[in-house]
Amino acid sequence: MMMANDIRPVPSAASERLLDVKGLTIEIETRNGPATIVDGIDLHVGKGETLGIVGESGCGKSLTMLSMMRLLPNKIRVTKGEANFAGRDLQKMSNSELRKVRGGDVGFIFQDPMTSLNPVMRIGQQLAEPLIYHRGMSKAEARKRAGELLKLVGIPGAEDRLDAYPHELSGGMRQRVMIAIGLACNPQLLIADEPTTALDVTIQAQIVDLVKDLRDKLGMSVVWITHDLALIAGLVDRINVLYAGTVVEDAPVDALFSNPSHPYTQGLLASIPKLSDERSARLSSIGGTPPEPGRRPKGCPFAPRCPLAEAVCHERVPSLEGIGQNGAHRVACFVAQRKLEAA
Amino acid sequence: MAAQPLMRIENLVKHFHVRLGAFGERAATVHALDDVNFDILEGETLSLVGESGCGKSTTGFTLLNLHRATEGKVIYQGKNIVELDERAMRPYRRQLQIVFQDPYSTLNPRMTIGEAVGEPILFHKLATKAELKDRISTLLADVGLPPRFASRYPHELSGGQRQRVAIARALACQPKFIVCDEAISALDVSVQAQIINLLLDLQQKYGLTYLFIAHDLAVVRHISDRVGVMYLGRLAELATREELFEHPLHPYTKALLSAVPEADPAHERSRKRQILQGDVPSPLNPPAGCRFHTRCPIAMDVCGKVVPEWREARPGHMVACHAVTEGLPG
Amino acid sequence: MSVVPMTTTPIEIEPPVSLWRDAWHRLRRNKLAVFGLIIVIVLAFTALFGPYLTPYDFLSQDLNGRNLAPSLSHLFGTDDLGRDVFSRVVYGTRTAFLVAIVVTFIAVLIGVTLGALAGFFGGFLDKAVMWLTDMTMSIPNLLLVVVINASLKSPISSWMEARYLATLNPFYRETIWVDFLLVFGSMALISWPPYARLVRAQVLSIRSRPYITAAQALGLTNRIILMRYVVPNALGPLIVAVSAGLGTAMVLESAFSFLGVGVNPPTPSWGNMISDGLRVWQHYPHLLAAPAAVLGLASVAFSFLGDGLNDALNPRGAK
Repeated sequence: MMMANDIRPVPSAASERLLDVKGLTIEIETRNGPATIVDGIDLHVGKGETLGIVGESGCGKSLTMLSMMRLLPNKIRVTKGEANFAGRDLQKMSNSELRKVRGGDVGFIFQDPMTSLNPVMRIGQQLAEPLIYHRGMSKAEARKRAGELLKLVGIPGAEDRLDAYPHELSGGMRQRVMIAIGLACNPQLLIADEPTTALDVTIQAQIVDLVKDLRDKLGMSVVWITHDLALIAGLVDRINVLYAGTVVEDAPVDALFSNPSHPYTQGLLASIPKLSDERSARLSSIGGTPPEPGRRPKGCPFAPRCPLAEAVCHERVPSLEGIGQNGAHRVACFVAQRKLEAA
Repeated sequence: MAAQPLMRIENLVKHFHVRLGAFGERAATVHALDDVNFDILEGETLSLVGESGCGKSTTGFTLLNLHRATEGKVIYQGKNIVELDERAMRPYRRQLQIVFQDPYSTLNPRMTIGEAVGEPILFHKLATKAELKDRISTLLADVGLPPRFASRYPHELSGGQRQRVAIARALACQPKFIVCDEAISALDVSVQAQIINLLLDLQQKYGLTYLFIAHDLAVVRHISDRVGVMYLGRLAELATREELFEHPLHPYTKALLSAVPEADPAHERSRKRQILQGDVPSPLNPPAGCRFHTRCPIAMDVCGKVVPEWREARPGHMVACHAVTEGLPG
Repeated sequence: MSVVPMTTTPIEIEPPVSLWRDAWHRLRRNKLAVFGLIIVIVLAFTALFGPYLTPYDFLSQDLNGRNLAPSLSHLFGTDDLGRDVFSRVVYGTRTAFLVAIVVTFIAVLIGVTLGALAGFFGGFLDKAVMWLTDMTMSIPNLLLVVVINASLKSPISSWMEARYLATLNPFYRETIWVDFLLVFGSMALISWPPYARLVRAQVLSIRSRPYITAAQALGLTNRIILMRYVVPNALGPLIVAVSAGLGTAMVLESAFSFLGVGVNPPTPSWGNMISDGLRVWQHYPHLLAAPAAVLGLASVAFSFLGDGLNDALNPRGAK
């Protein structure tokens, strides 16, 4: 199961961007008019790169990914920005072009495998569907490939499981089926939206290892959305930390853990209990709660909870600036940026 | 640890009878809890961990008599409380409290925070009407909420704030013992840390005893004195936190611990996980013998036949495993 | 890594928003619902005080002024007996409201009681109530009313007539109450099942909510849990159902009266006025248009109000 991950060449992020999101803004309609949920977000994923998007509930991490595929729920819509996939703006594509991308070049894995699978359709049919639609396979070919896919994601007795219904499988197995569906058309990019949150720890570990393994085997890019920094530590190349709909820190994974620069990232890492902690030691925590959409503060969105906030933080919004690693480590924080200048 | 047992759980069994099939024609028994034995010591935090369906929440519900025990005893203050009816149970209810997982649904949406916190105070006659307002303010302050929250409704609060209210409500009863049933699992990481700190502070201040039910081992490691590991309705292992995390004996505990991610990229990339094969069997028809033997990497013949004895392998370290008992590598 | 201290977020103080007040805000923002509410209030006011305010009695005939077109003195004109149509429509409103309220009240009383008992206690009682509900729902309401009309009404009426002649007690003179009691009593007896089902489902779902377990864990008694936890949370959907039910009952009353099995002339009902007007609509369209328009308006108003209440009280569906 363990791949020699340390010798896997880390793809250079700058080289070739498979996914490039620029200034994406998402608003929700509320009683008091539109409120911004995602505020001009910039993020990118290189070819073969694995990006972790980390943030707490409501920070807009899932909506950002859904918006690119135009899968946003009612009353939520993209008002600004572009999202380029392999050089083409997804926002400007026609619906039929976009359908080719969805499930074809881009595979999705969702959080809850029970509600994301159609309960009245056999597993085999659900797997075959994108193959027939996107790859123009015949039914027999698609069924054969579906069996291979189930084997690929490690489902024992794969061929026999093709005729099973989702409820006949355990949670971990269902998530494997979801991954198989996501991978069906050999996507260039796999987007995993909290795929292990509903699963037990031992199954969680299995799924992380599985995705790692498949990525190395198939050479695709992966975006893994989660709230659990520790979970993806061994999986991703780079992490973007989201807070209140903006990227506050973007760094290679090792740099993020060894030198977290945004106070929010620092707070997040500090609030994870560690092996070395004394029993009953107080955990560091971040006071307060994230702002609700429509009640964003004027300056830096984290300023009201930030222990280091200065006057300027409440006035202006900091932009994402490079602070090291040849510009690969970027942070949106006046204090962190000034520290660097001083150094 | 010289602490006295606050509660003694003896041979606790909980079976649920269910009906299966499209017309409910087949009766079946869910073996949610079988032959569970442990003590809860005064002032300690005892955690129960395990994967979904292992019976950890059922244990919490059953020992508070919220589920009727099928068999066994829960001795509290010299009384077997699981055989009491609701009326006889009432004085104990006050002392034995519970905080639930989902802060969004454990508060009545039609009651203000003040009403919710004040209700148990008046019901158990712990304060007069005149003192009530002060008492509510004190309780809200205890859980880090300003007194003006008393006039708010649950839907105006964030998840973390609601969980604070749920804790204040449990505290209102002036309990000795609180079951925290996945009380922080639904919260965001930064808020989780706030609530963990709050629980630790309150324990010190009021000398509370916690039964902490959780699946997040990092959190459990942080706050527990002792940890019990459950698998499919039985206790597999129970020891102090140092002992359990440093010297796990049961193969299931080892697998569970090896799955816990650490916030360290280099360590995570190079670590070798012990991946368990297969799924947890159905509690409708649990395996004979040791319930873990179907997935156990070191299973022997005897494991499929005889239920391993629950015994002390090292001082204060209880385990139920044939391999450990026979002194084999484990 | 530095320890991040707790910072207090400045939160502006706002008045508490109860769910009811919140619902009222949402309702007020719904234009159609407000329109419905206003119409319903106007109609209710008309039903209560209208008959005292109209310039003519709804029964007084003026054979010199028959079938007059609408004018300032007769807003909706007069009918074939020279009765003022406006006054009759106003009185018809009272008939419609009386019937709707009586029918709905009885139906809700039966339905809520049976539904709550079935949901709360379950088991055999639940099975029995659900069986009764299914049985009742299988009875076609029109057929039942016709059968009752044909079988029970005339014997009772003639019995009352005989009693009146024998005793001269004025109580027996007014046979209009027989119409009401028989026809609409039987209507009520078959329209409770939806309420029973709704309340049972509500109670069942509320009973399994964690806040009920939380209340039990506090040691609260069943009575407190029922009154403070179950009932208030079941109320919202019931209010929606009652508002829609009132509208339905009004339309049903008109339908039955139109067919001649409901309220009988000379007591005015929108239904029997439409029926009368239909025969001469080519010559005197106002005789059909006036009651039909008011009936339509009432029906639409209740339906808008019901929808609005639904969105206001169950905001999750609307979001």
